[in-house]
Amino acid sequence: LAERASLRQNINLMQLVYGKPASKSLNETLDCIDEEESEDDEFFKPKGEGNKKSKEGTDVNDVDIDDCSKFLNTATKKNWKSEDLIASIRNRFVTGDWSKASLRNQFSE
Amino acid sequence: MVKISYTKLKGSQNMRLRLLLSTLSSTPILIEDIRANATLPGLRPHEVSFLRLLEKISDDCFVEINETGTKLKYKPGIVMGGRHLVHDCGESRAMGYFLEPLIVLALFGKKPLSIKLRGVTNDSKDPSVDTFRSTTLPMLKQFGVSSEGLDLKILSRGVPPHGGGEIILSVPIVQDSLKAITWIDEGMVKRIRGITFSTRVSVQFENTTLHSARGIFNRLLPDVHIFTDHKTGPQAGKSPGYGMSLVAETTSGCFISADNAVYRAQEEDEDGELEDEGKKWLIPPEDLGEQTASALLGEIEQGGVVDSTHQGLLFLLCALCPQDVSKVRVGKLSPYGIQVLRHIKDFLSVKFVIKPDPSTGTVILRCVGCGLKNLSRKLS
Repeated sequence: LAERASLRQNINLMQLVYGKPASKSLNETLDCIDEEESEDDEFFKPKGEGNKKSKEGTDVNDVDIDDCSKFLNTATKKNWKSEDLIASIRNRFVTGDWSKASLRNQFSE
Repeated sequence: MVKISYTKLKGSQNMRLRLLLSTLSSTPILIEDIRANATLPGLRPHEVSFLRLLEKISDDCFVEINETGTKLKYKPGIVMGGRHLVHDCGESRAMGYFLEPLIVLALFGKKPLSIKLRGVTNDSKDPSVDTFRSTTLPMLKQFGVSSEGLDLKILSRGVPPHGGGEIILSVPIVQDSLKAITWIDEGMVKRIRGITFSTRVSVQFENTTLHSARGIFNRLLPDVHIFTDHKTGPQAGKSPGYGMSLVAETTSGCFISADNAVYRAQEEDEDGELEDEGKKWLIPPEDLGEQTASALLGEIEQGGVVDSTHQGLLFLLCALCPQDVSKVRVGKLSPYGIQVLRHIKDFLSVKFVIKPDPSTGTVILRCVGCGLKNLSRKLS
């Protein structure tokens, strides 16, 4: 069952990148496009900046989207002073547990 | 007259990526509807500047823009490279915008490139020149690019709105082609380096930024060094500002970066693109340090051999490799990364196999490169 689940996720990710952007359900990798909202917008589309402002930034389907490789993720909003968060990435540092960290690289085909 | 068939594209999105891929794959392109419905239609100054840059470094390339700038015809030429070139990037976008495609193009040139760029060195939208030096250039070495002649010198800094920075970029050419890589070992973060800069403001801004960033890292790693780069006089460009670029180096030689810059935006600008940001500093230095440090930790948490900003470049380099399997690990796919993947498929017909790795929340991508050879080198 786990195998099947991972297979489905795999297809989803491939679809997400290469499939037609209009006809798919988005999974957790890209939580940005609100389908219903964008359909409504399509109907009453004012020719101007007003509409674009609200869609700007997150809409991948915008043909005039800003050309920018930098992606500001939400992690900046997390409070990295809290102990829990610090503990969660502790093993990604040389000061953490090396044996646990090496597990990350044992990737099963 | 030879009739050229153009690949038709729409909209202004990913313009430099399209131009880059068009040049690499020698596919002429025709872009229509460039901001056709916007109040200010057509190409933006930075896009025109990028086209001029392409003309400068290549031979026999042809650019035609219609009167309103909503339609663009581009027929790529041969990338020549060359020394002592100068290009003015303008002030509408930072140099990172130009550098990203430029380094890839330069690799496939006839001669090594050395170019002086003028304009904005640091802003909050594009990767800064510091990040380029610390993260992007080492990344190229993974693909077999020789470190000899690969260099970026910062002569002076400049932040928006008036810029005034100057850098010299040198990129060697690849002799034949890149090297396919298997790069999935992220390693563990062994050191954090960084640089803070300030132009036309008190050095105190840097110290505050530095201390607040250190405060975040202190509980994780002792090996943290952040340098300061206080610029005065002509080296400081034309506008006041300050910023920070951080890079985490791992035991397996990956570089994860985060950067940001603060500056005053022009309050009255007919460009319409800039938001009203008032006259006060957007982010105080303490917050800037904390935010940049948090962004870096966020990237580390996400995993992957590169940060989200460099995903696009990584995919592109993989696709340009010889016909051999490349395998890379990244964190969450960034929107820009996805765009790059789509364009790679369109132009180079390289399709990646994308597989999530649920145990770590990362994504493994595999592809067979398109086998791009450095053809311009052989022409003599």
